[in-house]
Amino acid sequence: MHAVPAIIIQAICKKYQLMKPASRSININFEALWALNDLSFEVRRGEILGIIGRNGAGKTTLLNIIAGALSPTRGEIKVHGRVLGLFSLGVGFQDELTGRENIFLNGALIGATRKELEHKLDAIIEFSELGNFIDMPLGTYSQGMRLRLAFSVIVNLDFDILAIDEVLAVGDTLFQSKCFERLSEFKREGKTMVITTQNTAWIERFCDRVVVLNHGMLVFCGAVAEGVAKYQSLLSTEKFFVAPVENSPKLIENTKKWSEDMSDWGKQLGTKEVVIESVKLTDRFGFMCDKIKTGDFLKIKVHFNARNVIKAVHFGIAIFRQDGVYCFGPNTVFDGYDRYNIEPGRGWFALAFYRVVLAPGEYRISVAIWDKNEAIAFNYQSGYYRLTIEGPHIRKKELLSMPYRFKPGSFLDKIDLPWAIGVLDHNILNEQWSRHIDSDQVVLESLKIFGAHNKETVILFTALPAKITINFSRLPVPRAGLYIWIGIYREDGIYCQGMYKKLKKDKRFSIEFRRLLLLPGSYNISVGVWDNAQHSFIMHHHGVYPLRVVSDRGHHGTVYLEHKWSWSLPKYK
Amino acid sequence: MIRELVLKDLKIRYSRPAIGFFWAFLSPLLMVAILYLVFSVILQVKIKEAPFLLYLMSAVFPWRFFQDSVLSSTTSLVDNKNLIKESSIPQYLIPLSIVLANAINFLPSLGILLLTAIFYLRGLPFFIVLLPIILAIHFVATMGISLAASILYIKCRDIKYILEAVLQILFYLTPAFYPLSLIKESFGPAWFTVYTHNPFVGILNLYRLTILKGFYPALKGAGAVSIFLVPLGFAIVILALSFSYYQKNKTIINDYLSY
Repeated sequence: MHAVPAIIIQAICKKYQLMKPASRSININFEALWALNDLSFEVRRGEILGIIGRNGAGKTTLLNIIAGALSPTRGEIKVHGRVLGLFSLGVGFQDELTGRENIFLNGALIGATRKELEHKLDAIIEFSELGNFIDMPLGTYSQGMRLRLAFSVIVNLDFDILAIDEVLAVGDTLFQSKCFERLSEFKREGKTMVITTQNTAWIERFCDRVVVLNHGMLVFCGAVAEGVAKYQSLLSTEKFFVAPVENSPKLIENTKKWSEDMSDWGKQLGTKEVVIESVKLTDRFGFMCDKIKTGDFLKIKVHFNARNVIKAVHFGIAIFRQDGVYCFGPNTVFDGYDRYNIEPGRGWFALAFYRVVLAPGEYRISVAIWDKNEAIAFNYQSGYYRLTIEGPHIRKKELLSMPYRFKPGSFLDKIDLPWAIGVLDHNILNEQWSRHIDSDQVVLESLKIFGAHNKETVILFTALPAKITINFSRLPVPRAGLYIWIGIYREDGIYCQGMYKKLKKDKRFSIEFRRLLLLPGSYNISVGVWDNAQHSFIMHHHGVYPLRVVSDRGHHGTVYLEHKWSWSLPKYK
Repeated sequence: MIRELVLKDLKIRYSRPAIGFFWAFLSPLLMVAILYLVFSVILQVKIKEAPFLLYLMSAVFPWRFFQDSVLSSTTSLVDNKNLIKESSIPQYLIPLSIVLANAINFLPSLGILLLTAIFYLRGLPFFIVLLPIILAIHFVATMGISLAASILYIKCRDIKYILEAVLQILFYLTPAFYPLSLIKESFGPAWFTVYTHNPFVGILNLYRLTILKGFYPALKGAGAVSIFLVPLGFAIVILALSFSYYQKNKTIINDYLSY
């Protein structure tokens, strides 16, 4: 075994600047998109590493960085040996030039010398099986022929590391098997390969290890079988019309369904074998409402009409924030109910939330009647209904306001500050994960998290008590305008809740949650000491303290709301 | 690699037309023929220093090299965006390869110019030994402007049209088909000094000095500084400026291109 890895990737991030389409001026406004976010892993010498992930997960960007076509915005990559990359359909292929001329152009662009190419020319042409077409302009080639040419150039050159991007699907089966043969040959020769694909069968057959990416983040790096399972569970929780993995008795570690495709909002989907006839939102007194206060009762009642005998239905309701953040999406299966068969006729189901602890703002509600596997909706009204939640303070950027208590502390300690809106804009902070601002005046000794039985842990359970203890060894002298702020963020940067406290003499205090209303997933805690006079943080540790939440149920979303289902199904007449 | 890029450019240009590379000779000749017809035959413009045909050729050929390079480089980064995004080559190689391809394209017409000069004037002036240096100055200046234009174009697509107009104006500002002495006589010596300090006029003068016998009297009154140092300084400064502009922008070129 070789001691030195072929590729070492350390904390690389890649930011793309997205131009706002409307702009025409020279000074264009850019929006940042983090295509890769803090990835670290190694590729061992002589192994075949598969990279899988959904479209837009950052696979191609990562491969481009490995091949040297892009440089990371942050972080470092070390590559030992000569890398060749096979992207799309051949770098710099020109339709006007012949296949032969393109071999030289493409070869030069990926770093081969003319001498090397001349030497290998016959082998390349032979491997490509293009025959007389080699002297025809590339414009006359089919996609498969282009791929064959591009692939032939690559595999006939000398390299240590080969990076291949989702292209092998193009060729015909015969050529594909020839490619596999060639790749296996490379494997025996001990060459390193990095391959992205959607084809998990391919990965299982060919790769030694696998990296799973999701939204630019590394979800998994390790054994193939486990990685593929992880990827498939990602697919099932993120897409609607794909059957999820069967419910397992295991603890759910991550709901992963964190955002919603808003393009469907306002649409009716499904087979319409059952039709949703009306949806009513009512308050605790049974009055219709579309506005409630934070912490209020809310009941959503859905009347439906079944046209056929339908087997194994279940009901689901989901709440989204106006910007697409998935707040909470319970359904009757998650909550442990059986699936029922329905006779034709009218019926209703209802979901009551005892305390809607969502932060003030605008929300959307989706309602669905599903079949057994959630593969087909009978009727699915996506983002159809609007709900406004009002509160004493508008904290736009937060997601929920679960009840909590500072200890020691009084009711008066708890404050909502106007600065919290402007300063803690998560868009700004998101780019500064794990930023540290320290000063002589403040020393944070420790931050500890305690679970249900007052046991120290970083893994908490949904809907059970939790406590965060913060211990400063040095604090500035208390004066007006100094505040301590603790923020909880989802791992993708969504600001869940902020808690504020006037800075007092106590160097040690805790925040207690009677019930932790967060759904499974990874979260980060931030701590800051804010000086309102200076309008800046004296001390700020952003997203430094990790927190995991698990649950025994697979609710979708981020926020757990206590709720109860009820229904009346159509009776056989 | 640069060789492959240049070859690609030339091949694309000449592989399809039936008479291929022959156009590199024919198209500048056609342009000169048209200008000759208009100015000499129809408008009866007279030049003291040299035969009008030669006078015209010495201006038009180098100018075509400059204009073609700049205009095709301007869109080059955008035209080759797939190539840039998928390989790790430095982006400036693209406009460089275009300018080089145009330079190669320029050589046949330069040959025609020299042959015509020898034929008409029975020999070349002694200054012909300086021709390589003058070509280098011309190339450097062209490269500088091309590189800057190609980067500006990805940020602001209006540049292409602006440049087309500006190049047109510049062409008429150089003494391509009117005598240099006309400026002195009509506008006075002060304006003449300003006029000869135009680096494009300077480069053209350098070509004429090296190729046209009996051209020196026309430049009397313009010092050696403006004849040689202005174009040289201009070429170096413009390349340095546009290269530093490139250095500043090279990391964001790909971001602009993906838009």
